[in-house]
Amino acid sequence: MANINRREFLKLGLSAGSLLALGSPSDMVTKVSGKQETHKKVLILGFDGMDPHLTEIWMNQGKLPAFARLRAQGDFRPLQTSIPPQSPVAWSNFITGMNPGGHGIFDFLKRDPQYYIPAFSGAETHDPSKTISIGNLVLPLSGGSIENMMKGRAFWQILEDYDIPATIFKMPSNFPPVQTNQKTLSGMGTPDITGSVGEFNYYTTEVTELKQDIGGGAIHEVYVIGNRVEAKLPGPTNTFKKNKPESSIDFKVFIDPVHPLAKIVIQDHEFILKEKEWSDWKKIHFPMIPTQSVGGICMFYLKQVRPEFKLYISPINIDPAEPAMPISTPDSYAKELAKKFGSFYTKGLPADFKAMTHGVLDEEEYLAQDDTILKERIEMFEYELSRFDSGLLFYYVSSTDQRQHMFWRFIDKESPMFDPDLAVRYGDTIQNIYKEADKILDTALSRADKDTIIMAMSDHGFTPFRRTFNVNTWLKENGYLRLINNWRQGQEEFFMNTDWSRTKAYSYGLNSLFINERGREGEGTVNPGAEKEALVREISQKLEKVTDPDTGEKVITKAYVTKDVYQSQQLEQAPDIVIGYNRGYRTAWSAPLGRVDKKVLDDNMDKWSGDHCMDPAVCPGILFTSQKIKSQSPALYDLTSTILSLFAAEKPKEMIGEKIF
Amino acid sequence: MGKAKVKLEKDLLEKIKKYAEMSGYSSVEEFITHCLEKEISKLEESDSEEEIKKKLKGLGYIS
Repeated sequence: MANINRREFLKLGLSAGSLLALGSPSDMVTKVSGKQETHKKVLILGFDGMDPHLTEIWMNQGKLPAFARLRAQGDFRPLQTSIPPQSPVAWSNFITGMNPGGHGIFDFLKRDPQYYIPAFSGAETHDPSKTISIGNLVLPLSGGSIENMMKGRAFWQILEDYDIPATIFKMPSNFPPVQTNQKTLSGMGTPDITGSVGEFNYYTTEVTELKQDIGGGAIHEVYVIGNRVEAKLPGPTNTFKKNKPESSIDFKVFIDPVHPLAKIVIQDHEFILKEKEWSDWKKIHFPMIPTQSVGGICMFYLKQVRPEFKLYISPINIDPAEPAMPISTPDSYAKELAKKFGSFYTKGLPADFKAMTHGVLDEEEYLAQDDTILKERIEMFEYELSRFDSGLLFYYVSSTDQRQHMFWRFIDKESPMFDPDLAVRYGDTIQNIYKEADKILDTALSRADKDTIIMAMSDHGFTPFRRTFNVNTWLKENGYLRLINNWRQGQEEFFMNTDWSRTKAYSYGLNSLFINERGREGEGTVNPGAEKEALVREISQKLEKVTDPDTGEKVITKAYVTKDVYQSQQLEQAPDIVIGYNRGYRTAWSAPLGRVDKKVLDDNMDKWSGDHCMDPAVCPGILFTSQKIKSQSPALYDLTSTILSLFAAEKPKEMIGEKIF
Repeated sequence: MGKAKVKLEKDLLEKIKKYAEMSGYSSVEEFITHCLEKEISKLEESDSEEEIKKKLKGLGYIS
């Protein structure tokens, strides 16, 4: 590998989608262990992104009665989040009781230092090591695999050692689910069946809507000929064939010549949708070779019939009834839920914010989709709660996070995206999802007996996201990053226009900054040791002095030197600096993928107007408990130690947290 | 850097001069280099690179 260049390396890129053709891994043991009947029970509700400031305001106004009740009965504190406060990092802190220096998840993205190429940090895929080619077909002789990159042990694995049963519902960062016989369903990080975080498909006759190269979806131009539309639904790559072509399914739409409705025909499904109507889940199969196909589930939304035809198809989720990738432990748990409730969203971050960003779904349509997601989740929560009689139950809600990202612009008059008319209509959206969280907590409180300890927590809070900061451009302007051609600045991602021989530092991911270190990076220039140490200090000090000329505000409140703040087991892959942005500021949209924009600072003109990838000090999470909290400033990893202590399980030496009760 | 001469039709060269100036390039050479590099990069760019970008961009935090 050492002799290949970056482009050749990319050509060898492995994709999670390419694993799909191999089917799911061997069935896991279906026995659910942890059979000890525990007198004490622990119920944890995880509301992603729930903010202590907003919670307190609405709680004090009487709008969140269940949270107020739990506070009165027990306690409430802001909860220290992770450095940086990104969900995969924060939930990994909670799962393992360590910080990123222990569990090795530092950012949504990591980079290959040899080739300066980014990838998702959560899971890695490995293609089958042995294949055989017959004509145009490539048949695997050994299975591929997907590996969860989080290091350390999950707390439910430790509980299993003590025979304490646990059900872990949709825990983020748990994809593929870590090996256990406890009941777990994977959460954030679970891809759709193409192996991506979610690819919608949108079919339209309106030329102005056609955009190329959009992230998170594909917009297809279609023609209505004789009230009929014919199109293809793209699927995963077909790894059974040479060159791995994309698989697809043909489908047809028959438009009613008079009424605003259409019949959709896809494989063995024939169904009629009215304009602005969603279908239920449809199971589809992408044929690979005569004996193999990959199944998935998707929903159809007929946005408009005339004058322009517009049809949205959701990302194709892994079918829980026949999962193409591992999404639960034991394997039978996802199937059991599918048997009881039918198909359900399995994709990690289910609400389609990319479709909303690109104007494919409007606010109303996005909320309709997220309502479906929430309804599915609540039904499953009530089911799990009804049979929760021992051990620990963890239940997770994503809608609190996803709605704050997209609707913050309606509660923030200083947002460049504030719209007074839409604010009248959607200004209560965030408050309403907090009220839904309150109802879920109310259900839990009303069912809990005196032996149940309840915790309601979030991984981080939220702040406005008004201004973008491109740290790569800042590095360039300060002489730490050099381009090959200055006139190409802003055009390329993956640092393709970067002169590495004269570059000292670069940033991939949402908060991570790396020194171009000799011996670690492919074309490193900075010597490890004293030279690197001095440069890290110099850059972090300069970053903390950056002010926004438009507002006079500090852009970065704290640039964390990771060797000072992380435990040391996994520091090799760690960024050298984690940038802690001030309230209102976040990394620019294109910086995480290595683009050096022309402007350092700019307005955030995206509907995605609330965020949390800032300084952990400005966006702590929430912690409500049914017992008094002794610790003044509890942190996510303290909860892990607390859980183990409640069940008298020994805390592994790598865990850094302390019990809070 | 090696130099090479390329023959172009006079009409085309005039157009190139005009558009290079209109687009703010400092020289005709710079404009031609840019156009050629852009075209070559399209040809060189593998599916995998596009695939990786597409997948990463699906994350809400990135565009």
